[in-house]
Amino acid sequence: MMSLTSQPLPFPALHGRAGFSGFPSPAQDYEHRTLDLNVRLIKNPTQTFYLTARGDSMEGWGIFDGDLLVVDRSVQPRLGHILVAMFNEEVLIKRYALHHGAPHLCSSHPHYPPLPLDDTECQLWGVVRAVVHEYLP
Amino acid sequence: MIGLVDANNFYVSCERVFSPALEGKAVGVMSNNDGCVIARSAEMKALEIPMGTPAFQLEGLRRRGAIHLVSSNYELYGDMSARLAQLLRDACPKVAPYSIDEMFIYLDGLGTTKCLAIGAALRRRIRRHLGLPVCVGLAPTHTLAKLANHVAKKQPHYQGVCLLSENSSATTALLKQLPVSDVWGIGKRLANQLAINGIHTAWDLRKCDHKRLRQQFSVVLARTALELRGTPCLQMNALEQPRQRIMTSRSFGKATGIKAELYGALQCHAQRSAEKLRQQRSLTRAVLLFLSTNRHRKDQPQYFPRAMVPLPTPSDDTRIILAAVREGLEQIYRPHHHFIKAGVMLVDLVDTQQQQLSLLQRPAKTHPHLMETVDAINQRMGQGTIHFGMTDAQAPWQLRCAHRSKRYTTRWDELMEAGTHPGAIQAFTSPP
Ligand SMILES: [Mg+2]
Repeated sequence: MMSLTSQPLPFPALHGRAGFSGFPSPAQDYEHRTLDLNVRLIKNPTQTFYLTARGDSMEGWGIFDGDLLVVDRSVQPRLGHILVAMFNEEVLIKRYALHHGAPHLCSSHPHYPPLPLDDTECQLWGVVRAVVHEYLP
Repeated sequence: MIGLVDANNFYVSCERVFSPALEGKAVGVMSNNDGCVIARSAEMKALEIPMGTPAFQLEGLRRRGAIHLVSSNYELYGDMSARLAQLLRDACPKVAPYSIDEMFIYLDGLGTTKCLAIGAALRRRIRRHLGLPVCVGLAPTHTLAKLANHVAKKQPHYQGVCLLSENSSATTALLKQLPVSDVWGIGKRLANQLAINGIHTAWDLRKCDHKRLRQQFSVVLARTALELRGTPCLQMNALEQPRQRIMTSRSFGKATGIKAELYGALQCHAQRSAEKLRQQRSLTRAVLLFLSTNRHRKDQPQYFPRAMVPLPTPSDDTRIILAAVREGLEQIYRPHHHFIKAGVMLVDLVDTQQQQLSLLQRPAKTHPHLMETVDAINQRMGQGTIHFGMTDAQAPWQLRCAHRSKRYTTRWDELMEAGTHPGAIQAFTSPP
């Protein structure tokens, strides 16, 4: 069982509205006042998917094991973007960058050499728009 | 021009978005309770494994790794369907969902070239943005658009987009070789009656005098003939393809945001759908409900939610369908929205008789009553309350929950994982 919507979730602030008696203002007014993280992080809800990062070789670029990735599949990848890509049947997070003048999928860890884009079975899955690192459970 | 966007092997394609390793492999999606094939990848079709095959007959192939079986993940399919509809809504002035993976788009006043370009662009965009392969059929009428889609799927040189104009030679050639039973809304029985009257192909039907058809058969058949000629005269809902899905929906006279009123409307639709279901002697495996706000009212908040509720067992019981509708509405309802339309769709229908047969065909080792009891307990006490002491090799499909993919888009604890380097996912996943 599930609810299905690709739209942003309702505002948590709405639940607190009961406390303000005597202000029969419509809910939309609140939407203009309360900041919504969905609006900030999710530009294209229909094309946005959440993934969990696994591994330590992207720590140099701020992605830690267990982090939440906000992946937008509608973004055209450009050099410098962090991508989710399929590489030999594996789903990988890499940075799309030049290495010796040619486009490669790079990790921030010296242990893992850049993967050249031309001679591999590499397929784009999506572009990472944001990373959420939670400090408290 | 009317377009029909139809996903290829939708359930399998949804699975592949999040399990890219399944790409290019023979994949079957199994129903949850009777464990038989309800969706197949092209590779699975090529192995000539028919729909409805019970899982235990495929156990050998599965163990050898020749095929991959997953049990149905309705939450995932429902969410991907909602995304597909939303993507089309963002691109086209008017969209009407026809089934979970078929949506009509209306491209009024656009020429052939422009329509073909839009079709190709949509197909590319859906593939890139959602990961789903689709085909697009374009034509002046619903009936021809459905045929165009069929052609786009079957004939690779169309590259997934086929446009049939009413009088082109391609349309003529296609209709001449197409059995009349392949035309939208024409079932086997009617096709037999038509054959007696010398109507064998879609072209034969198109040439018929529609007044004669109306007298001899029905208004709907007369209109179908006109539609084949390119004269639009059928509403999308006039034709029910029996034994695939049943949809009942209606626009409200006046927009409403009141939950009780929405439930009232959905209740009517559910009751009507259940009647149709029993009439055609089918059972449904899942119930999809949807609501729409008025997209032309830019001043109002827009919301087009859907909920897909799988049933514990395939059913034609109105009470069970109503319970599913209540549950679904509870999930998607939000106050402060003005809804103008509500609908109920029964999906993944199964023949009542066939269902009874498949229960009889269960392997002797597993007692059907025992299985039902176990299911009931597991459903009440939580999945996995009762386990079977069988090794994997013996385990029949009843341990099916192990085969369900994660609900990647609807559960925070079931997200897809991506590794920062090859092997990272295994290395960093803590053992359970
Ligand atoms: Mg389809």
